[in-house]
Amino acid sequence: MNILFKIIISLFATVLFTSSLYASQNLKFENVLSENFKLITKSSSKTIDPVIKKLLNTNAPIVGDFLKKWKNKKLYFIKKTNSIVSLKEINTNGYELVQFSNKKNLGFFKKAEIKKIKPNSGVRSKISNALIGFQLLSTDVNIRVKGLETLSRKFNPEHLTPLKNALAKETNLKIKKRMSQLLIFGTIQYSQNENEIISSLKSLEGNLSIEARGVISSLLKNKIFVSSQKPNSPNLARIIIPGVTLKNSDGSSLKPSFYSNKKPEITKQEALKLLINGNYIKNYISPSKRDEILKKNIKNKYVENIPVETLKTDVARIKAYNVLVSLGKSPPLMTDQDIDTIINKHFFYAIYDEKSSKVINTAKEVFNSINHKVNFYKYLDLILDGLSLTSIYFLAAIGLAITFGVMRVINMAHGEFIMIGAYTGYVIQLFIPNHTISLLIAFPLAFIITFLAGVGMERLVIRHLYKNPLDTLLATFGISIALQQIAKNIFGTQARPLTSPDWLDGALVINDVLSISLIRIAIFVLGLTFLILLVLVMNKTRLGLETKAVTQNPMMASSMGINPDKINMLTFGFGSGIAGVAGVAIGLFSKVTSELGSEYIVQSFMTVVVGGVGNIWGMLAGATMIGMLQKFIEWFNPSNTLAAQTYMIIFIILFIQFRPKGIIALKGRASED
Amino acid sequence: MKSIFLNYLNSMSSFFWITAIIMIITISIVVFSEAYGLNFVSTSFVKILGKTLCLCIVALAMDLVWGYCGILSLGHFAFFGLGGYMIGMWLMFERTKSIVIESTQNNILPLTHNEINEAIGTQIFGVVGGAEIPMIWIFADTLSIHLLLVLFVPGILAFIFGWLAFRSRVNGVYLSILTQAMTLGLSLYLFQNDSGLRGNNGLSGLQNIPNFDNITQAELSIWFLIASSLTLVVTYFICNLVVKSKLGNVIKGIRDNETRIRFLGYKVESYKLFVFVITAIISGIAGALYYPQAGIINPAELAPIASIYLAVWVAIGGRGSLYGAVIGAAFVSLSSSYFTGGQIPNINFGIFTLKWVDWWVVILGLSFVITTLYAPKGIGGLVEIMFRKKQL
Amino acid sequence: MLSQLLKKLTIFTFMLLFGSKVFADGHSAIKIGILHSLSGTMAISETTLKDTMLMLIDEQNKKGGLLGKKLEPVVVDPASNWPLFAEKARELLTVSKVDVMFGCWTSVSRKSVLPVIEELNGLLFYPVQYEGEESSKNVFYTGASPNQQAIPATDYYLEELGIKKFALLGTDYVYPRTTNKILKQYLIDKGIPESDIFVNYTPFGHSDWSKIVGDVVALGADGKKVGVISTINGDANIGFYKELAAAGIKADDIPVVAFSVGEEELSGLDTKNLVGHLAAWNYFQSAESDLNTKFIDQWKKTMGDKRVTNDPMEAHVIGFKMYIKAVEKAGTTDVDAVRKAMYGLKVPNLTGGIAEMLPNHHLSKPVLIGEIQEDGQFDIISQTKEVPGDAWTDYLKESKVLVSDWKSLGCGMYNQDTKTCIQIKSNY
Repeated sequence: MNILFKIIISLFATVLFTSSLYASQNLKFENVLSENFKLITKSSSKTIDPVIKKLLNTNAPIVGDFLKKWKNKKLYFIKKTNSIVSLKEINTNGYELVQFSNKKNLGFFKKAEIKKIKPNSGVRSKISNALIGFQLLSTDVNIRVKGLETLSRKFNPEHLTPLKNALAKETNLKIKKRMSQLLIFGTIQYSQNENEIISSLKSLEGNLSIEARGVISSLLKNKIFVSSQKPNSPNLARIIIPGVTLKNSDGSSLKPSFYSNKKPEITKQEALKLLINGNYIKNYISPSKRDEILKKNIKNKYVENIPVETLKTDVARIKAYNVLVSLGKSPPLMTDQDIDTIINKHFFYAIYDEKSSKVINTAKEVFNSINHKVNFYKYLDLILDGLSLTSIYFLAAIGLAITFGVMRVINMAHGEFIMIGAYTGYVIQLFIPNHTISLLIAFPLAFIITFLAGVGMERLVIRHLYKNPLDTLLATFGISIALQQIAKNIFGTQARPLTSPDWLDGALVINDVLSISLIRIAIFVLGLTFLILLVLVMNKTRLGLETKAVTQNPMMASSMGINPDKINMLTFGFGSGIAGVAGVAIGLFSKVTSELGSEYIVQSFMTVVVGGVGNIWGMLAGATMIGMLQKFIEWFNPSNTLAAQTYMIIFIILFIQFRPKGIIALKGRASED
Repeated sequence: MKSIFLNYLNSMSSFFWITAIIMIITISIVVFSEAYGLNFVSTSFVKILGKTLCLCIVALAMDLVWGYCGILSLGHFAFFGLGGYMIGMWLMFERTKSIVIESTQNNILPLTHNEINEAIGTQIFGVVGGAEIPMIWIFADTLSIHLLLVLFVPGILAFIFGWLAFRSRVNGVYLSILTQAMTLGLSLYLFQNDSGLRGNNGLSGLQNIPNFDNITQAELSIWFLIASSLTLVVTYFICNLVVKSKLGNVIKGIRDNETRIRFLGYKVESYKLFVFVITAIISGIAGALYYPQAGIINPAELAPIASIYLAVWVAIGGRGSLYGAVIGAAFVSLSSSYFTGGQIPNINFGIFTLKWVDWWVVILGLSFVITTLYAPKGIGGLVEIMFRKKQL
Repeated sequence: MLSQLLKKLTIFTFMLLFGSKVFADGHSAIKIGILHSLSGTMAISETTLKDTMLMLIDEQNKKGGLLGKKLEPVVVDPASNWPLFAEKARELLTVSKVDVMFGCWTSVSRKSVLPVIEELNGLLFYPVQYEGEESSKNVFYTGASPNQQAIPATDYYLEELGIKKFALLGTDYVYPRTTNKILKQYLIDKGIPESDIFVNYTPFGHSDWSKIVGDVVALGADGKKVGVISTINGDANIGFYKELAAAGIKADDIPVVAFSVGEEELSGLDTKNLVGHLAAWNYFQSAESDLNTKFIDQWKKTMGDKRVTNDPMEAHVIGFKMYIKAVEKAGTTDVDAVRKAMYGLKVPNLTGGIAEMLPNHHLSKPVLIGEIQEDGQFDIISQTKEVPGDAWTDYLKESKVLVSDWKSLGCGMYNQDTKTCIQIKSNY
């Protein structure tokens, strides 16, 4: 009884004590808020750090909640009273607000009376950083993962201990693994213990992630120095010869090989600047300074008996200046040779910021071994990029392989059939919001629509022009511009979205170097499917065989009971239909505009021509060549995509000169026009 | 009787007819012009007319290479643009130079050659983030060299391309696609900034002729109109001469049956190459006259679609008759600017308003299909039929 | 009698044919030329501006016009064809005899029009953010110059987000080229080494972004925080943002700030994956002010509920109001009188604050930075005081010495060092 009473009393006291403690902490918290009102409501990441620290130091239990709401833009302030509050709900009465610390209801406010507090993303990331401590200890797995995500963006030294503690308690294996990984990064960056750093570094060997590479290369940071003495530092990164040596990414230097087009790390001009800044050259007279001095010495249009109007060349100006020098009116000029000698006399070098040479050497080792691997994956990535472009070109051209390749009909409106397919996909998405289902409907529907359009065009126009392929080109061009303009009139010139289903969002990530978006894989698969389908149709079905017969010898075919008229119509429709399906796919990965088709038409024709007309495998080879080539040229000149396209076209033109019939030329009768 | 008249129409005298019409138009415009006459006709209309005449010249070239020689080139407008670029470089450089020199007249030190070039470079290339004058501008201060370049740049490009293509017997539609690829490549090249021709921005301010600052645009436009009409007449004369000569018969033969002509012992490749190069040069000249009137040239002008439109003009006008090409170019380009100019009222069908701006291209495209299907000889052909009926 | 009729008929035919000069009757109305593409690639952006102008003119006419006359809009279509801009501008000035023009979007089109209006002494209000390095006597630039958009956004990157490595991605044309040149110099001045600035240009309508996005991600391999400054224009943005989303790049990892993406452009995109990426403008639809609410209401009432407002529209609103004020002040529509009356005029911004016309023909405007939200609107997270527009940038060696002052110096390209006017006419 007595004991029970005591317990009750002590419990009560604890509650009272803690609640009063909380109350005082909360009061302190409110004070910090009102003191720093301006800094919080008009926040900047430059000034927010001390505020966050002060808030954390109050130890108030609501700090975590406050920070979270702040970060998620859920806080408001009342304009009149300058008090920071949180929103309960918005209803017809206006905004219902609550005091933050004691949840006191403040009643309803109008929109104009309050203002949302909007921290920018720099501030938000600082808040997130402050939240890491709370998040890592949370019982909710998702919150811990979120905390780690923030930590991976910015690791501060004060996070080391909480992370170690959290790692010890963690039970979820996946999170544990991630934590220990982050701990390694943190150790490398902030540990004072050399051996700890080296062992952490070694554990990163072969790790391709951007984070790992970032951490290691931060150890290899170095600065450029200039001096008149030979550098004598154990942490020397490299000796630089101005205008000659290149810089390696691990900090060492490299002499250029003769075929390399890389620029030297520092030019002679820059070396000169370094020397001037380092006071190794005094009284340097630059050409512009020389002219200034000349100008100052002009009297009555003469510089010491030299008329001003003769100073039209550099040589004349130097001469005039030297007259001034000889009169002792100005410091002497330096010739190019003088500058060269001075540059050669001095040493330019770089020194690592990191002090321990052991750490540097290990870091270099690990860095280089990772870089080898990275380079390998980069090539692989390039090939994948090329393949992806190949499949897009292939898809765009595959319908042409039938209409142009098999029937020898130039259909300039082929691109517009692709466009029609893409717009079909867009229109269907307007009616069916579910992206997966709408896509499943769009593919067959696009085929049907463009099939009918193709058949219609064949019946009305092309049929009459089989004898004259050049006229087909012209007539179909007319149709092409008409269709394009009609699309513009209906859908406008603005690009329309064709959104891929959620399961096609994202990318297949193999590592941080090698990844490919799922939509591109899907296009690749689609291209492959078409290829197989086309081969089967052409070789195994009646339609395919009859088409071949008609193209090879229409007279003979018709005498065998094949109706060439019908076959031509169906084949043309089939080719157009495939263009429509391709259009849906292309629209998914880029955008739907009325000019979508015309962007691909020239490339498509070239794909067919380069590959060899009348042969699907040839076309595949053509697409591969064009796609890969474009990516490889781009790789050599990454800052200019247009140049890549230009060079590719020049290459194709030259290629066709030497293999006019394409990569795979048909032999025998079929090859003759 | 019928045949005599047709021959009459088709022979040299079509030249006189065309010359007479062009001269009458030109003279009457001059008489009614703002600068030299009664001030009836606005300068902007004079410019439109002058430009149309240039388009007629390039259409003549297209007709020669396609209508007579059977090579459907989708690259002649690229040659036209090249001509424009070549003259544009000189115009722009010289004008900037005179501005620079004028603005630095009061400088204490006279400028060195390098300093002048630097200033010109900043002015011309400042807008595209550069300052240095690229190597290809090396002759930009010499008019005579650039006048030659107007001829040679399109000519040599056509020669290299044609030599490669005809040598390996690329024919028919393949050749068309290849010329289209060439056009695309050229326009993409010019689109990039590194080409040294101001990329997408192109060359502008070409209507101001250096050292002719005191002459108003109204006067200049008349000069260019006269120059354009004279060039058109001369080109027509030359083309007519070619077509009526033995050379003309050979190239028509090549169009109709290349193999037969080859078996007859003619070097088909050389003939084709000759026509291809000559027409490219004519196109270049036309471009050099056109762009000073337009005032600005940029790579979009060279895009493949422009060359296809050129084929459209010739096809609508009438392949294989020189006057047809002229009529086609004038008719289609003038009506295009008329219908898309917004002057013509829209037609209201109640539920649907037909806006000419929107539907003109559709009509053009479809009329083009109809021409190819039902009137392969175009307007020129219709004229012939009309005269034939009258004669009967 | 007959000869009279015949004469009239001839004259009429000429008028029809040539758009006659002589018979354009005197000024019964004040004519306002609207030079925006209604067809072609730029139509989507420019048509909106034409509609804005028509709305403003209509509103002014309801108020009783100007100087007792009605305002009469003259709309032409330059069809996104740059040479045609020059032709149409000449037509507007000489045939239609407009008193002022509002128009152009791309810099190329402006450069195409410049020689014509300088020759004929016309007046043009240009409403789009542009690359600067120009100050024509005959143009009032109501859009932002680089120091009103690009530089503050870069400062935001440097100071607020702590970006250390920059990817400057742009479409290959004038505006990105010049802006990136200025930005590159600015960053170097701020201590960013040149090797940490990655510049890339792509053609208009570029769609194959996977490699470029991959390159940008790879920039982070040395542990520095990467930020993208995008001057990518038009449709190409769609493919770019799609690829960004597919690569799983969040705004917290690699932020993208765009100078050419506004409400109008976002309406063609699924913004779900773009939340948090940035744009810098002088106006956002989400700006909170009474004037803005009124303007949005009026716009939606005339054009439909789904239409959004954007920065160049605000520029036209300010430009138009200033023109009206200037004409009232000058009492005439004479170009030189109006021009002189323009200087120092003040008109309220839609975002709150006051826009003032400076002697260099640019406006003082606030700079806003917004984060993309899921609904395709921008959440304004930073708004500066009014920044005076600078015709010649302070960050390039050759432009630093130049100022433009048409009021007291009467020169758009004045060298402060040598105290001389370099040239009166502009470069084009």
